[in-house]
Amino acid sequence: MNVAAAVRRQVNGTNEVDAWGMDHDVAAVARSLAVLRWDITVGGDQHVPSDGPALLVANRRVLAGTPLLVAAAVGRATGRAVRFAGITDIAPIGPALRRVGGVIARPDEVAGLLRAGELPAVWCQPHIGFGHRVGPAPTPYLAAALDVRAPILPVAVIAPPLARRVRLEVGPAIAQPRRPGPWALAELADDVRAAIQRMVDEASPPSWLVPG
Amino acid sequence: MGSELGSLVATLLEKEPWVGEITGLDIDPPRRRLRRATFHRVEPKDRRKMVSIVREFDPQVVVHMAVWEPDARAHPRDAALWTQAAAVAVLGAAAECPSLTHLTVRSGICVYGRRRGAATRPDESVTPDPTTPFGRSLLDVERIAGEAGAVAGVPVTAVRLAPVVGPHVPSPLGRLLRLPAVPVSLMADPAFSVIDDQDAATAIVAAASTHLDGPVNVISPGAVTATQAVRMGRRVAVPLIGPEWRLAGMVASAFGAPIPPHIQELLNRGRTADGSYAAQALGVEPRLSTREVIQALYEWATVIHLRPTEAAA
Repeated sequence: MNVAAAVRRQVNGTNEVDAWGMDHDVAAVARSLAVLRWDITVGGDQHVPSDGPALLVANRRVLAGTPLLVAAAVGRATGRAVRFAGITDIAPIGPALRRVGGVIARPDEVAGLLRAGELPAVWCQPHIGFGHRVGPAPTPYLAAALDVRAPILPVAVIAPPLARRVRLEVGPAIAQPRRPGPWALAELADDVRAAIQRMVDEASPPSWLVPG
Repeated sequence: MGSELGSLVATLLEKEPWVGEITGLDIDPPRRRLRRATFHRVEPKDRRKMVSIVREFDPQVVVHMAVWEPDARAHPRDAALWTQAAAVAVLGAAAECPSLTHLTVRSGICVYGRRRGAATRPDESVTPDPTTPFGRSLLDVERIAGEAGAVAGVPVTAVRLAPVVGPHVPSPLGRLLRLPAVPVSLMADPAFSVIDDQDAATAIVAAASTHLDGPVNVISPGAVTATQAVRMGRRVAVPLIGPEWRLAGMVASAFGAPIPPHIQELLNRGRTADGSYAAQALGVEPRLSTREVIQALYEWATVIHLRPTEAAA
C-alpha cells in the first residue's frame, strides 16, 4: 500500500468511500495495523472467492474482538475487504467503524452487500461458559444469502480472550438446500454451526487456552 | 413543468414516439422551449382549476412531479402545502379519467428515513419510515397516488430519486455545497449519493413508458462524504459537533443557502439507496456517478462572447 498516495487522496478528497461508509484506504491501514495486536494464522483462505459475493459465518468469542479480527485476518489473507456486521449506529464510534468496513446488523443490510458482490461477515450467537461450544447460526442472514444465491462459508475463530496468537480456519462453502422453506433454512443453520464446531474442535489444542 | 426537472421531462416526452398530446401545469412557466406541449399556469392551491384541466384533457398517462423540495423553490411551509394540494387535485382528478392507464409519481429516497439502526442502503423492499418533513411529504404523495391507482385500477410507479443535483438545479444541497465554507459533521461525515437531473428525467420518462407497478430507486452509483465534496469543490469544510448546527443553519440561510431538516439529516446521517433494480425494471442506468455529479456541480461554464457573423445593417 502506498501510504503517501493514500494520504494525498485523503487530503484532496479523491479517496473512495462506498455507500456503507467504508474508506478503502483507511480499511487497508487498519488491516496493516492488526498485526500489532494479533499474531494471526489463517487456513482455508482459498475457499473465499476472489470476487463476487460470499457470506462468512464465524463463531464469536467473548472479549476476543471477533469482528475486527475476522475482518483483518481474512482481509489480509485474501486481499478482499470484509464487511463485519454488528456495529453501533451512534457517532462517533459507528461512523469510525464504518470507515474500516463495519455495517449495522440487519439482514437487509447484509443482503444489500451480497447483491453488490461484497464479502460480509456475521456471527453465531456467543457461547457463555466453559468449552468451545459454538452457538446457533444466525438464520435471517443465511436467508439473505440464499435469496442472493451467495455461497455461505463457515469460519472458525480459535482465539482465547485477550490472546495474541489466534487462528482462523475458513471452511468450504456449505451445500445449500434445493428447496426453500423454514425447515431447509433451519437445517442449513445446523449445518453451518456443525461445520464451525468441527473446525473449532479440530484446531483447538490445549495450548490455545494459554494466552500468547 | 416549471422546475428544471419538470421541464427536462417534458422535453424528453416530446421526443418519445409513444407520446401524443402533452399538457402540463405548474406555478412557474417551463424553463425550456417546448414545441408540442401545452402549458397551464396554475396556483397549486387552485384545486378547482387543476381538476378541470386534468378532466378535460383525459390523460392516458400522468407523470406527477409536483413535489416542492423545502428551500429549493419554495419556503418549507409552502412546499409541504403545495405538494399535498397538488397531489390531491391532480391524482384525484386523474383517477376519474376513463382513458387513464398509468400513474408515475416523483418521490425520493428520503422516504426511507435515517432513524438510528435504519438500513444504510435500502432497496425497494425496505418499509419507508421517513424522519424529515420532506420525506413524510413524499410518502404522502406515494400514498395518494396508490389510492388513486387503486380507484382507477391502474399501475403506479413511484420513482424514488436521490437528491437531484446539477449546475442549474435549484436545490438546497447544491446551494450549500457551493458556499465558500460548508458545515460538515465532525463526528460522522457519512456517505451520501445524488442523481444528475438529466439521469433523473430519463428514468422518469422510462418509468412512464414501462407501466411498472411499485417503487423504484433511481440513484447515481457510488457515494461521497460531505468533506470529500467540499474538497472536490475547493471549499472550506467547517466541522460541527451538534448544537452549533442551528447557528450554522442561520448563517448559511443568511448567505442564501438554508439547510432544511432533510439536508441536515443527509450531512449527519448520510443518504444512499440501492439503485440496482432500476436498471432491470426501467432499462436505464445513470450516465454519471455521484462523484461526477458533484464535480459537475462545481464546474461553471465559461462565458464566451461570440462576435456577430455579419455587421448590423
